Amino acid sequence: MLTRKMLRDMGRHKTQFVSIFLMAFLAVFIYTGVGGEWRGLEKSKNDFYRDTNLADVWLYGNGFTDKQAEAVAGIPGVTSVERRLELTALADFDGAPVLSLYFVEKNEISSLYLVEGTGFDKADTNGIWIDKRFADVRNLTPGDTLKFTLNGQPLQKTVRGLVYSAEQVFESASETLTPDFAAYGYAYLSAGAFPVPEILTYSTLLVKAGDTADLEDKISAALNGKYSIYLEQQNHPSVSMFNNEIAQHKMMGDIFPVVFLLIALLTMLTTMTRIVTNQRIQIGTLKAMGFKKGVILRHYVSYGSFLALLGAVVGLITGPVSLPYLFFPSMSGFYTLPEWKPAFAPIFLAVSAVLVLSCTAVSRFACGRLLRDTPADTLRPKAPKTFRHGVLERTRLWEKLGFNAQWNLRDATRNRARSLMAIIGVFGCTALVVCALSMNDGMEDLKIWQYETINRYESKLTLNENATWPQIDGVIAAVHGEAVQESNIEIRANGIKKTGALLVTDNVTLIQPTDAHLKSAALPADGVSITMKMADTLGVKQGDTIEWHIYGAEGWTESEIAAVYRAPSEQGLAMTRTHFEAIGFTFHPTAILSAEAIAAQLDGVDSVRSTAESMAGWDDLTEAMYIMVYLLIAAAAVLSVVVLYNLGLLSFTEMEREMATLKVMGLKSRKLRNLLLTQNLWFSAIGFALGVPSGMWLTRIIVTMSGDSFDFPIYLHGLTLAVSFVFTFGLSVLVNLLFSRKIRRLNMVESLKAME
Amino acid sequence: MNPIFNDIKQQAFQRADCCKPRKEIIRFQNVTREYGSGDHILKAADDMSFSIGEGEFVVILGPSGAGKSTLLNLLGGMDFATSGEIFVDGENIVGLSDDKLTEYRATHVGFIFQFYNLIPTLTALENVALTKKIVKSPIEAREVLALVGLADHAGQFPAQLSGGEQQRVSIARAVAKNPTMLLCDEPTGALDSETGVVVLEMLQTMSRKHGRTVIIVTHNAALAEAADRVVRIKNGKIREIIENPAPKAVSEVNW
Repeated sequence: MLTRKMLRDMGRHKTQFVSIFLMAFLAVFIYTGVGGEWRGLEKSKNDFYRDTNLADVWLYGNGFTDKQAEAVAGIPGVTSVERRLELTALADFDGAPVLSLYFVEKNEISSLYLVEGTGFDKADTNGIWIDKRFADVRNLTPGDTLKFTLNGQPLQKTVRGLVYSAEQVFESASETLTPDFAAYGYAYLSAGAFPVPEILTYSTLLVKAGDTADLEDKISAALNGKYSIYLEQQNHPSVSMFNNEIAQHKMMGDIFPVVFLLIALLTMLTTMTRIVTNQRIQIGTLKAMGFKKGVILRHYVSYGSFLALLGAVVGLITGPVSLPYLFFPSMSGFYTLPEWKPAFAPIFLAVSAVLVLSCTAVSRFACGRLLRDTPADTLRPKAPKTFRHGVLERTRLWEKLGFNAQWNLRDATRNRARSLMAIIGVFGCTALVVCALSMNDGMEDLKIWQYETINRYESKLTLNENATWPQIDGVIAAVHGEAVQESNIEIRANGIKKTGALLVTDNVTLIQPTDAHLKSAALPADGVSITMKMADTLGVKQGDTIEWHIYGAEGWTESEIAAVYRAPSEQGLAMTRTHFEAIGFTFHPTAILSAEAIAAQLDGVDSVRSTAESMAGWDDLTEAMYIMVYLLIAAAAVLSVVVLYNLGLLSFTEMEREMATLKVMGLKSRKLRNLLLTQNLWFSAIGFALGVPSGMWLTRIIVTMSGDSFDFPIYLHGLTLAVSFVFTFGLSVLVNLLFSRKIRRLNMVESLKAME
Repeated sequence: MNPIFNDIKQQAFQRADCCKPRKEIIRFQNVTREYGSGDHILKAADDMSFSIGEGEFVVILGPSGAGKSTLLNLLGGMDFATSGEIFVDGENIVGLSDDKLTEYRATHVGFIFQFYNLIPTLTALENVALTKKIVKSPIEAREVLALVGLADHAGQFPAQLSGGEQQRVSIARAVAKNPTMLLCDEPTGALDSETGVVVLEMLQTMSRKHGRTVIIVTHNAALAEAADRVVRIKNGKIREIIENPAPKAVSEVNW
């Protein structure tokens, strides 16, 4: 019987209950949806790494001998080692795409993942197993012949299989931020497939080890320092890039549901308080009839738990199966995993349970107060609240305020919970919108900063590793180019060691470095400059000393920091050719920059990439982020409409008698509407003012998750501010318009009749 | 009616009554209820003592603010006496715990309110059937609803019923629990006189035919003629207790 009462009561308070349901639903939906997505990514990734036995450590050097491999294998803790030779070839297709070739010894560590064709066979000297993403773009299938040029020597192999590699979840050639499957691919061959097997030297040693603590020292000792790069799994570019992506999704999936949960709880609090206040006489009657307190309490508390439960269950069911599929298409354009599947975690149930319990607790809190009175008291209508005059009301200023302002000020201060909730609702909405838009701005700003402020060139020509100086000079002359050397380096200071990028420029004008405020600022010609983010990471400043070395070189170079500059992507060091040579290095250009569009094939050039292509690539990279942005904005809209409408309704019902009285007195409907609108606008203004900085703060937190290499400039754009203002206040006014009809229809006689 | 004549009649009946005593079901003994503290003590019930016999139709009369509702609340277990004893069916309900009082209300008291206090979201039948949740073996809801003449209105919501009908539903709801007494707080206060008579007749029937103790609080002195016993109160004190050996039927009372 009481269940029927509950359902019919809910029918009467549809809006409030629908909003509790919606908020509970959204909180769980987003939490489990985004959670299911990143957990799915993590699971697929871990399975992938495990199934292909991804190396724990990569050692690069100038040829590892059997003896050296055995020495490393003999280190306690190392479970297995395998060698391979990595070379770069140019495939025989339009644009001469770069192909990383792996001549592998056993295919036991970082083994290939076969998607199509026949499995790897180390005795097969004529076969090649090729990157499926590249093969798809280039229309290669097993059985086809692949032609390529290796060190100037034309070769051809038969495609045996299409594969994925756990080292290539994020697959990117060095000169681009984003994967371009037409321009870059990788392939596996057996060591016996090397053109002159007698001279094959292994450039890479893959190591599996249970524990990598102190491993570098042990390996260094075993090899007498005869290696150039020691790379652990979590620092591998593909691994760390993907981990950062997951961390970012996790962050958002964890933060935003909290907002909805808060709103659900607040809605619950105000709604239940109002219901039990309105049903005071009913509660008194039930008490008088002899219903036990527990029964009455359970009845009212069940309103809250029932809806929260309903919302949570619906969210729990729909979240993990829908939201992930919104992200997967753009994610899979960027990352390569054998499987894209959401994952379900027990914590989803736990979080849903917490949500239901907290809604129940709030509901219990709201109802508990009424049950403390004796039934006789409860049956009496509640004595009207006694109001004291506020401080403001005693000042002269009060007199000067119009009726509208006076009325609203009183109403707002006397219904504090309601006012607070309105402010929090608008605050949440604004914070979400500002966060979403400023994230969007950050992406766009970074693109402009990188490709317009800093890079002034039209084309970047990547030189072949073995390009000779005459070839290089030829290219420079042909494209009116400028030479740069870009190398991977390790930097250490204050006990922190980081991998980074080195940029050496030779009278370059097509790259304009920027200072901390993103303004162009020339770097000192005679000295080493460091990027701001790298300096922060290492805890160093101008004048401090750092140590660094180029990957592949042995020994460390000590340099004093001459300047700090700010760069959006690659973090590391920059210097001029003059300084580079002055401290004893040989300048060897890796790329030529040109202000011209390049169509011709040039000798010594591996690939050409235009700035337009790079910008398009950046847009692809940020697509997953845009989905998140849209999702946030949609959530913000739902949030604010639900909260504001709900509150409007709440205050409208509470003020119905006052409204009717004012109407009877002859106030026009329009004036009454303005009365309500004024309050909405005030709350919107306060919520907005608080929401903007919080949104920016949220964005900053999220971008710190984007990894070591990106330095996002997060600024509040005027347009963003304007759009979020229009959005927030627009919704506020819109919700108000919904009430204007109610006011016009307000039945004065009915509203002024007895209480119940 | 001549008050002197009334007094003579009363004395005669008092004598008559002593010869066929009813079983005492309710006894108030020096009951006081104070509100407030310090200098602002209000005695809503001031040393009240009286008793009521089983099956009596009792009217508690008094002007507004006399303490009628306090008396009713105390008897109904909805408020706590400051001092004194209230015996109901031999048990003192003063000082009972909250839970015991709830149990007392559930089994002994059927309330009928001035404004009916039906649950607006439940139909007439459902309102009566609520009693199933309170006592173990209530009278079948349909049966009680038929008793108050509303069998045809079972599926209607309170808002669809007239005031008189609503009050009859509320009587049915109170009766369904099969309580020791029906406590009625101005049961006709919100009704026109004709409808009021119907409701009062029904309450009188509950006493006369079904042997229930019915206690009505009202400020309408006319009802005194129909009562077995009249308790007059003023300023929280009992002024007068009148026993009426030959009460009129409600329909005969001159309103």
